[in-house]
Amino acid sequence: MSELVRSPTGMVGLALLSVVAVAVVFGSVLAPYDPQAFHPAVRLTGPSAAHWLGTDQFGRDIFSRLLTGASSTILFGVGATALGVLAGSVIGVTAGVVGGWVDSVIMRTLDGLLAVPDLLFTLLIVTFLGGGAGEAMLAVAVAFTPGMARIARSSVLSIRTREYVLAAVARDESQAYIIGQEVIPNAIGPIIVEATIRVSFAIMIGATLGFLGLGAQPPSTEWGLMVAEARQYMYRSPWVVAVPGIAIAVSALGFNLFGDALRDAFVTRGRR
Amino acid sequence: MIDLHSNRRQVVIGLAAASAVPAIGFAQSGTPMQGGTLKISHSTRIATLNVMQLSGPAEYPCVDMLFSGLTRIAPGRNSADPDLATSWDANDDATQFTFNLRQGVTFHDGTPFTSADVVATFEAILDPDFGSPARSVLDMIESVDAVDDHAVRFNLNSPYADLPISTAHANARIVSAAALAGDLNHLETKPNGTGPFKLESYDSARITRLVRFDDYYKDGQPYLDAVEMHLFPDLAAESANYLSGNVDVMLNVQQADYARIAAAEGSNALRVPAGRYVNVVMRQDQPPFDDVRLRKALAHSVDRQLLVDLVLEGLGRPAYDNILSPEFQYAIESPEIPYDPAAAKALLAEAGYPNGIELTMVASNRPAIRGQVAIAIKEMARPAGFDINVEAMPHDTYLANVWRKGNFYMAYWGMQPTEDATFNLLLTSTASYEDTAWFNEEFDELVRRGRSTSDPEERAAIYAKAQEIQFRDTPYIIAMYQDVLTASRDWVHGWTVHPLNRVFYVEDVWLDRG
Repeated sequence: MSELVRSPTGMVGLALLSVVAVAVVFGSVLAPYDPQAFHPAVRLTGPSAAHWLGTDQFGRDIFSRLLTGASSTILFGVGATALGVLAGSVIGVTAGVVGGWVDSVIMRTLDGLLAVPDLLFTLLIVTFLGGGAGEAMLAVAVAFTPGMARIARSSVLSIRTREYVLAAVARDESQAYIIGQEVIPNAIGPIIVEATIRVSFAIMIGATLGFLGLGAQPPSTEWGLMVAEARQYMYRSPWVVAVPGIAIAVSALGFNLFGDALRDAFVTRGRR
Repeated sequence: MIDLHSNRRQVVIGLAAASAVPAIGFAQSGTPMQGGTLKISHSTRIATLNVMQLSGPAEYPCVDMLFSGLTRIAPGRNSADPDLATSWDANDDATQFTFNLRQGVTFHDGTPFTSADVVATFEAILDPDFGSPARSVLDMIESVDAVDDHAVRFNLNSPYADLPISTAHANARIVSAAALAGDLNHLETKPNGTGPFKLESYDSARITRLVRFDDYYKDGQPYLDAVEMHLFPDLAAESANYLSGNVDVMLNVQQADYARIAAAEGSNALRVPAGRYVNVVMRQDQPPFDDVRLRKALAHSVDRQLLVDLVLEGLGRPAYDNILSPEFQYAIESPEIPYDPAAAKALLAEAGYPNGIELTMVASNRPAIRGQVAIAIKEMARPAGFDINVEAMPHDTYLANVWRKGNFYMAYWGMQPTEDATFNLLLTSTASYEDTAWFNEEFDELVRRGRSTSDPEERAAIYAKAQEIQFRDTPYIIAMYQDVLTASRDWVHGWTVHPLNRVFYVEDVWLDRG
């Protein structure tokens, strides 16, 4: 952890994530206005003392919408990644531990799925499931599963031949014990690093789906949807598009930098 | 708060003003010049050119250029002008009409136009298996007979004085008898009409190009050599291309963009008041909407002027639950319904909901205006005790599962040419798209009588009564009428659009790029 804080990327990432975390946890409490309340007299205005980040086409306070939208936007990314990591790890660890033809079948199937770009894959799944926040989250999770499975499997493979695993096998420990106590704790590092970086992709994909009308639905304050709804007013008041756009970028950047620093920390530790 | 940007480039056509001038147009100066290619941008696909079936916003101008009808809607008014029929007359009780056809007209493929084509076209429209959208306004036609080569007689099963307006329906343009006898798939891509332009190339994903038809019946017209319809699926790209002068006409301007387009140098923005509306559908054969007090409570919970300002950027007019906009000849003034949450709360309590009511309103995602109105109504109705949960859904899902089945949703309709067509589209018990389960026999009877009455005064009284029943029962909440918005560059002369958004008179357009 100390290495993480010492690296500049890690510090910036951590700082950005703290801001985002405050918005996620306390957003709806901190919001100065009801995010759905109309203020028709001041619609599409820029930042002012009353409305710090301006107002949208209905005169709703953008700052309040941003704060309340943080939880749905960020938790979407975290939730989708968590689901994808869970499913991917189970599949990857199974493939890695069992090996043989099971491994071959699973990995060749996943390789096929990996050939499809994430966003395209997600769109396919959303089209199949129908739009909506829950469906979109599931779609991103499914799209992330093959990649996570591959990483989990490679960690498992590299650990399977380590001395401590061989020792456990020699002690005649059960398969479940070896996986649970020896393999997973040592394989989890790379998985967590990958997951952290993937959260930023999940946030971006979630926002993209919201923007395309396939994710969260109005009057939700999801950030991608805010950009989509505001897009036609872009020339009148750039703030309506810029603010949620920057918010998406900042949180994605936060997860990305933090993930990078996390990886560096792991690599350094490994080297020592 | 709302800047209407009334500058000299922006012209608002009032119907009254327009009807005084035979050919409307804001730049109708000088002698028309021959030649040139007019580029029109549009944002929705031209999915088909089948005149008998199409319904897309960018498909209507194509139909209007490629085909002629028996009659055509007159510029700026809801009355019929001669087109392929030069004149018509009816018997005394309006059950039999004779149309005299124009002589010497040919189709684009060179075959002469005769009464056989008219008979074939109308028989196809009236065939239920054919599924023509024009059938609902023409289903009073019992039979169509050719009197001779250049006269046809329509026999109606009930009196209908507005038949010449209904024959101007966009989907009732005349198709050749040969085309209808042949492979019907050819209607999609090989239109053969008698209109001022003929098809040169058709690419539904990019450009549709029409060229001048030299044998068009109006001498010397059209003035243009060609018209190109350019598809821009992205609205921002469409306005950018229009503003840079790459295209000459922007078929539909978005409300949010209108002020910018109107203020741009060398751009003429045109705003035409029309009878388009978003209506709140409330199914009345089941609780809670079977109680008129609940419907009235909701009606009082909508701030109509604010809705016009918020959703339409002021480019429309507040409506007070009258399905007829003021453009209609027999529309009566609707009593204003003030935004009054306190009165609404009282009505809600009377209806048995003293603590408010929770409702789920469905709004499909296309076009965006449905969702915007739904969200606005949700907020406006909250103080009165309505807790409305807006459920957004993809348009296809809405059409399959909610439309005409759900009990509370947003619908969106274009203006119809006649009172009769409007009432029979939605409100009568046998309406084509009946979705309220209102079923008011007195109203039905009035609409039936209105259809068969030809005396204007008597008709006005009948339709006034029908509208009063509508005010009394609030079958729909109709909060605003949306203007039709279009724009053309300085060098385009004579570009206009009818409030119906179906007729464009492109044969009158000419270019002066001087």
